[in-house]
Amino acid sequence: MSKGKLAIIGVGEVPTGKYPERRRWDILYDVCMQATRDAGIDKKDIEGVIAVAPQAQPRLTSEISFGKIPEELGLSGCKDVCMCNAGGASTTNCLRLAEQWIESGLAKIVLIPHVTVHSTIPVQDVINFFATAGIDTQWEYPFGATFNGMLAMVAQRYMYETGTTAEEMASTVVALRKWATLDPNSMFYQKPVTLEDVLSSRMVSTPLHSRECNVLADGGGAMLVTSAEMAKDITDTPVYKLGHGGRYDGACNTIRKDFFMREGWQDAARDALNEAGLDKDDIDIFEFYVAYPFNQLIALEAVGITEPGESGKFVMEGHTSPGGKCPCSTIGDACGRGHTGSGVSMANYIECFRQLTGKAGERQVPDCKYILATAAGGSGMNTLMTVWGRDIP
Amino acid sequence: MKEYKKPLPEIQPWSKKFWEGAKQHKLLIQECRDCGAKIFYPRKVCSECWSPNLFWSEASGKGKIFSYSVTMAGVEDKFVEDLPFVLALVDLEEGVRMMTNIVNCKPDEVSIGMDVEVVFEDVTEDITLPKWRPVTR
Repeated sequence: MSKGKLAIIGVGEVPTGKYPERRRWDILYDVCMQATRDAGIDKKDIEGVIAVAPQAQPRLTSEISFGKIPEELGLSGCKDVCMCNAGGASTTNCLRLAEQWIESGLAKIVLIPHVTVHSTIPVQDVINFFATAGIDTQWEYPFGATFNGMLAMVAQRYMYETGTTAEEMASTVVALRKWATLDPNSMFYQKPVTLEDVLSSRMVSTPLHSRECNVLADGGGAMLVTSAEMAKDITDTPVYKLGHGGRYDGACNTIRKDFFMREGWQDAARDALNEAGLDKDDIDIFEFYVAYPFNQLIALEAVGITEPGESGKFVMEGHTSPGGKCPCSTIGDACGRGHTGSGVSMANYIECFRQLTGKAGERQVPDCKYILATAAGGSGMNTLMTVWGRDIP
Repeated sequence: MKEYKKPLPEIQPWSKKFWEGAKQHKLLIQECRDCGAKIFYPRKVCSECWSPNLFWSEASGKGKIFSYSVTMAGVEDKFVEDLPFVLALVDLEEGVRMMTNIVNCKPDEVSIGMDVEVVFEDVTEDITLPKWRPVTR
């Protein structure tokens, strides 16, 4: 599908946090109904459901894979249903598939939902899942590799090559949590942290302190998408998908040639911006979903906002924070939202919709026209970039 | 031998030779006879040219630390007794990179670029893990 053919017309979301009493299907009902009401359509107009694969929740995954969402919600107009799994990059692929369903005429309006409730998964199951998700069971796991450990090695090498200081690394957390402070849907709403808080938190895997790693959270969100043409009839404020770029970087952290994924980021961003007919200087917000806060630094360099090694200073000076000249990750990325498994990128796209329709509350970036959003799966198996706009340039 | 509770490598048919070599305290690298590629991790066919014509050669066992992290917390119970331990990526002289642990030294002595050599840890009767230690001059 070419530029500006797909549009988001409505979103729904529940706040992230630890809510063991909130059941997965409650959340699914809530977010899907919210998105439908937000778009102002009738539920019978939803002709396809493409769900984001929940991680580490096998029963829910089976229920969704085998078509329970349209039936539960009584979507009598639904023509097909499926689920996309690419870890943290799932939502981006749901959008991609929705484009095909819409363009081919299978469905006019597609619902893309996600839910994850980590807090009721038995602790051992969570550990078992994340111990080997994106970690090679032959060449990495026997040596005690964890997500934290693998990303810590990226951080260590990054500091070695660029001379970035521990304070600069930690400043990414402070910046992201400033955004989260302004987000009523974040578990860290009104809970800022200081540089001192980050640097005095427990060391988990050198050089990463616990506050530089992720906290798992429960959450859910949904989007309704349709063709740009139809979107204009449904709402005065559609948000258009303008470009897409992707690169596969490799499953196994150990042998990934592009160790910092800089080249993958650069290439994917270039493709997405080219398709949109925009330059990075046209972008008002960079919605980076990079999982670990320090990766914001690599992202800034890869997209060309700063020179390699300069991004730490840039973040420390507050340029990516609320009120800064280069707002980045305005819901605070996984660090500010709590990590909802495959849900962080869903939250990011919902935020794109809010910012571009002027509904981002205290986080609103004035006169926001264009956003570059990123996603990645596993330990960094891929880099997916999309460009969004409130108009089609 | 004390019961070993940590995860063992899930061995594939085409990586069996690597682990047999490790058991004999030899570090074996898969190579392609057709295109000359050195392949790690081992594959069924050459990852560069898909040739099935592969052989194994013994590595020198020398390398340099590309990156590392001292793991202090946040591991499964079975790894807790090892804390703190050094997770590392080692670049072998042969040009391939492996994930491993740096042993026989204090974690705070480890640094990027450090010269290291392989040391074999027989963790069970069948499985030996190649780990690395600083080269002492």
